[in-house]
Amino acid sequence: MADEKEIETTGHQWDDEEGYPLKEYNNPLPKWWLYSYYATIVYAVIYWILYPAWPIPGGEYTKGVLGWSQHKQLEEEMAASQAAKKPFNDKISALTTSEITQDSQLLQYAVSAGKAIFGDNCAPCHGGGGVGAKAGGFPALVDDDWLYGGTLEQISETIHMGRAGQMPPHLDSAEGSFTAAQVNDLTQYTLSLSGRSTDAGAAGRGDALYRGDAGCNNCHGDEGKGSLLGSAGGEKLDTSIGAPNLTDAIWLYGGDEATVKTSIAKGRKGNMPAWEKDSEGNNRKLSELDIKLLSIYVHTLGGGK
Amino acid sequence: MGQKNDSIATYDYGVVKMFSVMAIAYAVVGFIVGIILALELTFPELNGGIPYISFGRLRPLHTSAVIFAFGGSVLFATTYYVVQRTCRARLFSDFLSQLTFWGWNLIVVAVVITYPLGLSQGQEYAEMIWPIDLLIVVVWVAYFINFVGTLAKRKDPHIFVANWFFLAFIITVALLHIVNNLAVPVSITASYPVWSGVQSAMIQWWYGHNAVGFFLTAAFLGLMYYFVPKQAERPIYSYRLSIVHFWSLVFLYIWAGPHHLHYTALPDWAGTLGATFSIMLLLPSWGGMINGIMTLSGAWHKLRTDPILRFFIISLSFYGMSTFEGPIMSIKEVNALSHYTDWTVGHVHSGALGWVAMVSFAALYHMIPRLWGTTIHSVKLINLHFWLSTVGVVIYIVAMWISGIMQGLMWRAYDEFGNLTYSFAESVAAMHPYYFIRAIGGIVFLLGALVMVYNVYMTIANAKDRPVVAA
Repeated sequence: MADEKEIETTGHQWDDEEGYPLKEYNNPLPKWWLYSYYATIVYAVIYWILYPAWPIPGGEYTKGVLGWSQHKQLEEEMAASQAAKKPFNDKISALTTSEITQDSQLLQYAVSAGKAIFGDNCAPCHGGGGVGAKAGGFPALVDDDWLYGGTLEQISETIHMGRAGQMPPHLDSAEGSFTAAQVNDLTQYTLSLSGRSTDAGAAGRGDALYRGDAGCNNCHGDEGKGSLLGSAGGEKLDTSIGAPNLTDAIWLYGGDEATVKTSIAKGRKGNMPAWEKDSEGNNRKLSELDIKLLSIYVHTLGGGK
Repeated sequence: MGQKNDSIATYDYGVVKMFSVMAIAYAVVGFIVGIILALELTFPELNGGIPYISFGRLRPLHTSAVIFAFGGSVLFATTYYVVQRTCRARLFSDFLSQLTFWGWNLIVVAVVITYPLGLSQGQEYAEMIWPIDLLIVVVWVAYFINFVGTLAKRKDPHIFVANWFFLAFIITVALLHIVNNLAVPVSITASYPVWSGVQSAMIQWWYGHNAVGFFLTAAFLGLMYYFVPKQAERPIYSYRLSIVHFWSLVFLYIWAGPHHLHYTALPDWAGTLGATFSIMLLLPSWGGMINGIMTLSGAWHKLRTDPILRFFIISLSFYGMSTFEGPIMSIKEVNALSHYTDWTVGHVHSGALGWVAMVSFAALYHMIPRLWGTTIHSVKLINLHFWLSTVGVVIYIVAMWISGIMQGLMWRAYDEFGNLTYSFAESVAAMHPYYFIRAIGGIVFLLGALVMVYNVYMTIANAKDRPVVAA
């Protein structure tokens, strides 16, 4: 450590009119500092020998003795990853989804791969882990309440082709043909299906509309159980309609009175995009293998039939 | 000295005072915008859907406010103060001094208006549209002439070390600014850069990294070389070290930019050079820290009573830490983990808050009483500011370290089948608590700056009532 008596200053002095004048000792470079500095230079030179480093005339550069390049690194890592997955993917490509779920190791693999595909493609709407989002009418995939069916085949079909749910508007001011009072009656009847009506008179008038002029039962069924479970006039409904079950506590857009009324008054449009190749054979986002893996993953989320 | 205070009476302290006051004002503005941004990241709905205060427009306002408005004003103030006192000469031209002050502040006002309107040329730390770029050139050339003109008037042929750093900073920033902003204007607010593709990226990061190297490192080291010995009342530890580390620093820094572009379209060889020059930069960077801290050797006891010295020592410690962290992060393998994560944000702020802001606070606390010929209103409040700053920075960077390394690890996590374990959105959700903690760190740091505003205001307001303190 510098001792003022032993180590001379350089003899220069600045700013000596006010406060302590600026002076400089001339201590030698700290040895640890100097040798560490040399060590970093040696490190750099070794690095230059091993890796691509210096441009040389003619548009070339020193390639380095390791033969490393970032493109090669990427290709090797991708190839290793693909090679590890190949045995699984080959088997899965050759089997049906229900066959895959019989093999516990293949099932594990499919769930692992499906989760990654789901996270990148589906989670933005359906939420992390498939919890859904009422604000956008994105259904939860973790329960056993399905709009278009919860079997492996039905889930696969939904992902392949996409789905378009159409609830028409009813209020006259929203391109419907019913008055506000009638919409209120329909709302009260809808709430009564899950035992929550507050106005028996209105619910009764709504009941008549439901299976009368409004024709709600054509999609939601005579008992309001939805297109998947319900029937109208003794006939099963078309399961591709996707009309929700109105008798349970699970709601696509929300089950409180105001939201139900909004759904009836203004209608709703749900849209699940198609993920398979389109009619011209152009590859959309997901391959057949991806859709298979994804179907199995969604099936395992909790509500698979 | 026989002619005691003769020269001091002739110095132009007016422009130094103006820049000092603006530096503190811009610090507060820059910190507040930073906190708004931290909270917008935590709670995105806070922007209320208003485009003018959306993250993308406010973020460059924050970086420009802290780097160019606050940092720039500190550097104008301290270079003008130091060059006069170490050359024993009044600034070269009063006209140029005023031109730099009003010009620089006009630039800041133009930035504050254009960025929220979305007028940007889209280059990080160089978002200013071309008319503002030209104004910067004018001000910078004036600054260069004024500084060199003052140096030419010096009484002692030997140029004090701080001025080497200042001159390197002024020359290099001019070069960086002009080359990176070469563009063909197509309207009053828009232009196309002459560089394209990977060349444009390379030049952008040559500029960006050396803005850190020469604006935020070399210039503030110059500041340190004047104010630390002056405040510690000790000679600088080693003249020899200052020469060796100065030339090493300015030679090596200019090569380091490509480490910002690992694993991109940039050729492999350029990345290697960027990384290795960054590694070789470690010890030259530390030379400044050693010279600063060792200057205090023999005067350690002063740390107990002098919070300004404490500011200097902690800022040099943060400087040493971030100039160690930087080269490590420049290595490809480390960069593969750290790049695009909050680790980088934490690294930048340990340099920007821990080093630049704190060394600036210390210099301003040293300089302001001398400019106004008084003593500081309250040493206790400097101490309070010191602790608020230190705690704020530590909260900030620890939150970003955890968040950043967690992000990096989540992005590269694979399960036993080789499938990605986490989606991107899951890593975003995991960062949420750390974003909130980061905002708290920023708020604590801002509180410290507000304590400074009060202390400095009281100091200046009372200046006329107090006796002038010589020495």
